[in-house]
Amino acid sequence: MRFFFKKGKILVLIVGIIIVLSLNFFQKEVKGFFYVFSAPIQITFGAAGDKVSGFFEAIGNLSELKTANDELQKVIQEMLAEKASFAELKKENETLREALQVGLQKDFQLAFVTVVGKDIGQESILINRGAGDGLLVGMPVVTQQKILVGRIGEVLENFSRVVLISNKESAFDAKVSGTETTGVARGQGNSKIEFDLVPQDKVLKVDDLVVSSSLGGIYPEGLLAGLVKKVSRNDVSPFYQSEIAPLFDIQDSNAVFVILNFNND
Amino acid sequence: MIKQVLILLAVFYLLALLQTSFFVDFRIWGVVPNFILISALLINVFEKPQKNTGMLAGFIGGFFLDIFSSNPIGFYALILLALSFLIKIIFRKYVWLPAS
Repeated sequence: MRFFFKKGKILVLIVGIIIVLSLNFFQKEVKGFFYVFSAPIQITFGAAGDKVSGFFEAIGNLSELKTANDELQKVIQEMLAEKASFAELKKENETLREALQVGLQKDFQLAFVTVVGKDIGQESILINRGAGDGLLVGMPVVTQQKILVGRIGEVLENFSRVVLISNKESAFDAKVSGTETTGVARGQGNSKIEFDLVPQDKVLKVDDLVVSSSLGGIYPEGLLAGLVKKVSRNDVSPFYQSEIAPLFDIQDSNAVFVILNFNND
Repeated sequence: MIKQVLILLAVFYLLALLQTSFFVDFRIWGVVPNFILISALLINVFEKPQKNTGMLAGFIGGFFLDIFSSNPIGFYALILLALSFLIKIIFRKYVWLPAS
């Protein structure tokens, strides 16, 4: 060390390290302090990032856009044909919804929150509500389309950190929508989720819709988690090896909902 | 020295804000580059081996990464400080640059 620093500088360095480490005793207050005045700037930067990346994405995909456009034209024609029958089904569905009261807001008491910061490396997002607004660790977070985002992992006074379902710390009971095929959805990081412990005697296909199950008590029943992306069998294991592509996209999320009245104890 | 610290604080605070908001939308092969880490390492590599600004940059950059992540404060700060220190050792002991 004496080749590198004078004694005074070593002392300053050690004091600096001790001060920074001691900030952990007031971690929530320190982080909350930074978040309070950083949040408006982060929201502005986030919105700018959305616009700029969208612009570049459009330029980069010009050749693909034409092909996609042709395909979409075909899809539109098919959909127009289906529209007529859907209109009838919609009417029926609305009647049933009213009767059963199964709308998102009717199911849950929700708090609308804005995404302030995104940590892609750690698969978490920072939202602008905290303990002061009645948020607690473990509360589920969803989008307005009932897509599962994750659960609150850390609560500060005015902010909370949401652990995404693709985070390595995340694991919850899930099932294939409309079937009895159940398993455990485990976050793998990098926007990947493993769908584990699905017995091979059940049916599991690519593009199956996976929803949350109330079995483990972590999330309410029926929240959309993702689509099955890969399915493979192994003679050694009694379970499928499968992967889910989450429906939630961290890049396109600027506002989400926290379910306040779900008791996961 | 104080001026240097203030400049580094301002620059790395801005970078941390960008890292958690603006740059999130610019993935390269599915990965968002950590610009704080890259900046701190570049400062260490390109400054004169006798100077210690790079180590300070690593420490301050790491501190802001900790603030805007779920890690305990000091996690990245110490990692980046150690990395900077390592680069300094390599450059001072094993790399001979032509005198300019």
